[in-house]
Amino acid sequence: MNDIDLDRFGRPRVVVTGMGAVTPHGIGLDAAWAGVIEGRSAISGITRFDPTGFPVRFGAQVPELDPVDDRGWPVPDEVAHLAADLKGRLAVAAAREALSMAGLPRLGDRAGVCLGSEAARPSLADVARRMADNEPPDAGTLARMRPDAPTRLLAALAGATGPRSTVSTACTSSSQAVGEGVLRLRRGGLDAMIVGGVDVLVDPIMVTGFSLLGALSTRNADPQAASRPFDADRDGFVLGEGAGMLVLETMASARARGATVLGEVEGFGCSCNAYRITDSPPDGRGAAQSMAAALADASLNPEDVDYINAHGTSTMMNDASETRGIHRAFGAHGNVVRVSSTKSMTGHLVAACGAVEAIYSLLACRDGVLPPTANLDRPDPECNLAHVPKVAERQLVRRAMTNAFGFGGSNGTLVVSARA
Amino acid sequence: MTVRVAVTGLGVVCPLGLTPEDLADALAAGRSGLSQNPALAVLEDDRAGKVAKVPVRAWLKRRKDRKLMARASELALAAAGPALDGFTGDRRELGVFLGVGREPPDDGESEAALAAACHEGRLDPVRLAGPGRDRYPPLLPLKTLPNMALAHVSIHLDVMGENGAWAGEVGAGQRAVVAGIRAVAEGRCPAALVGGADSLVDLGSARDRLRLGAEGPPGEAAAVLLLEPLAGARAAGRPVLAVVDLDGKPTPTPSSGLGDEIRAAMGDLGAATVPVELAAHIAAGCPETLCLDRSDAGDVSAAISVSALSPC
Repeated sequence: MNDIDLDRFGRPRVVVTGMGAVTPHGIGLDAAWAGVIEGRSAISGITRFDPTGFPVRFGAQVPELDPVDDRGWPVPDEVAHLAADLKGRLAVAAAREALSMAGLPRLGDRAGVCLGSEAARPSLADVARRMADNEPPDAGTLARMRPDAPTRLLAALAGATGPRSTVSTACTSSSQAVGEGVLRLRRGGLDAMIVGGVDVLVDPIMVTGFSLLGALSTRNADPQAASRPFDADRDGFVLGEGAGMLVLETMASARARGATVLGEVEGFGCSCNAYRITDSPPDGRGAAQSMAAALADASLNPEDVDYINAHGTSTMMNDASETRGIHRAFGAHGNVVRVSSTKSMTGHLVAACGAVEAIYSLLACRDGVLPPTANLDRPDPECNLAHVPKVAERQLVRRAMTNAFGFGGSNGTLVVSARA
Repeated sequence: MTVRVAVTGLGVVCPLGLTPEDLADALAAGRSGLSQNPALAVLEDDRAGKVAKVPVRAWLKRRKDRKLMARASELALAAAGPALDGFTGDRRELGVFLGVGREPPDDGESEAALAAACHEGRLDPVRLAGPGRDRYPPLLPLKTLPNMALAHVSIHLDVMGENGAWAGEVGAGQRAVVAGIRAVAEGRCPAALVGGADSLVDLGSARDRLRLGAEGPPGEAAAVLLLEPLAGARAAGRPVLAVVDLDGKPTPTPSSGLGDEIRAAMGDLGAATVPVELAAHIAAGCPETLCLDRSDAGDVSAAISVSALSPC
């Protein structure tokens, strides 16, 4: 192993050689990135079910996945049942793109999978059938509902027989899954990890539950303006769905096989708020601790970060708390570092948001473009940050930080760069 | 750079008792924690390993918060509280790593809402938006997220460090313990709570297990270990209950039979299985080195060894 293969602490460097995404902007990385760079909202009226009468009648839905070329990564028969619902199909589509981009062969025991995922919910049809017949869902449905179903599916798809694990920390899940992949590769013994997350939230039961909590925007008359992180007129988040997958490798592995290195994950940190289930601490202490931990893990100073892809959910509480967290962690640089929330356009992808937003952050570094916060007409004085309002901006991004903060108070932060 | 890791605290809540000593004594005496569970009366086998009363109140900051807690969260907090007893370190850096089961089915609590949303045998989303919504428990989404056990431990015990909730079955508990051992060994956390909590004794979970081909009665439990660097723990005069490592090789039958004994006595403990096995072994004084790998289908790459401080 050469010096170039090791980080400042002498640990194996962890680089990104593949990325794939399915977001409300479309299928594939190009569609996902183009949507946020254009500052275009992908939020619209719900079509997946009849939302008449619901207090919230819009969401950020992915387009229908057409039958597509499997890109040389067919779903093995033994896990085909796990790919039979939208969540499974999203995970597969994003993983195929990432694996194809990485140009990896089938992976074997020197590769593992770590995904962020929550349990899936049965369809209303399944629930109705169960209620009518007093019968539990069939075994296939139950297997798909398990949080670790997408992990098992992708491990089989990729032929990765190394360690598998599933992180379920709500909105932080896939941020921590990426972090877990980084930690695993640094320890040695593995060449690659498939990491990421998937979630599907636009369903009647989720809309019912989260609207009762008062967490969702109710801007039914203007869905495209509904998600407005850091804006004074924000009124809640927008449920979304999607998947983001990354292929992580050690630098040594990537160099040895001549892979194109797309970026590097330099730091990972996480923390708990130890505050309340639904609320963030007003002083942003948990968020600040997570960001500081990620900077320390990367051996960086705040001034080394040029852009933060904020968790920025568009709730009154989160955005103010995150703002204070940024100022606590970044000190004076907190007034300068550019900040935006891509949830303003994609809605909240929950268990998938950490991975998808890590991908946006890597692309921001690659292209030197800051994605904007759409709908940021009137920044809330409580959210005094160096925003990127409404329109993308060109700027050198040496490193980007991306935050994910979950219900229950788990926080995750990644620091990425494209300098590798 | 890694350091040796010691177990310095232990908490268990299970059908065989509410302390590690209760658990060890009951196992030694061959007692069963299985009993008939009225909630499972419709099933062919209505036995379950159920905890009669979860002693969680002592650890709650606000009593009303119990309304936010599903069963696995109560179990986790009731086990984590005693594990942390006597710890005087900085809880802002204290890690917490828990294995949790699949999200519990919410059918029981949402039944009224769903029933109100049915029309001529069909679940009607429009009715769910109206009369169904009025009966939907507003806190339900927050009770049933898999990370809620972790969240309640963090909130009520002021734990703010590195964390993770691993979802799945037996492998999830093992993954959580492995992650915590590594976090302490690598110096990312000065100490960490590790363990698992799961409850499979409600009718929905019990039926789902059967449908998925699981055998034997369901159970519920939580076990949490406090881990600290061995050298630091000894220097501070902390009790060293055992030493844990990750470089052992599991015995051909994954343990010394303790796992089978526990399963026979308490049923399927899901994500709490490995932590309860570790707790039982430690509570019994580590009569030998236990090395186990209970990963499901290659889920975990490291086996956990636990032994007394002096080589057994």
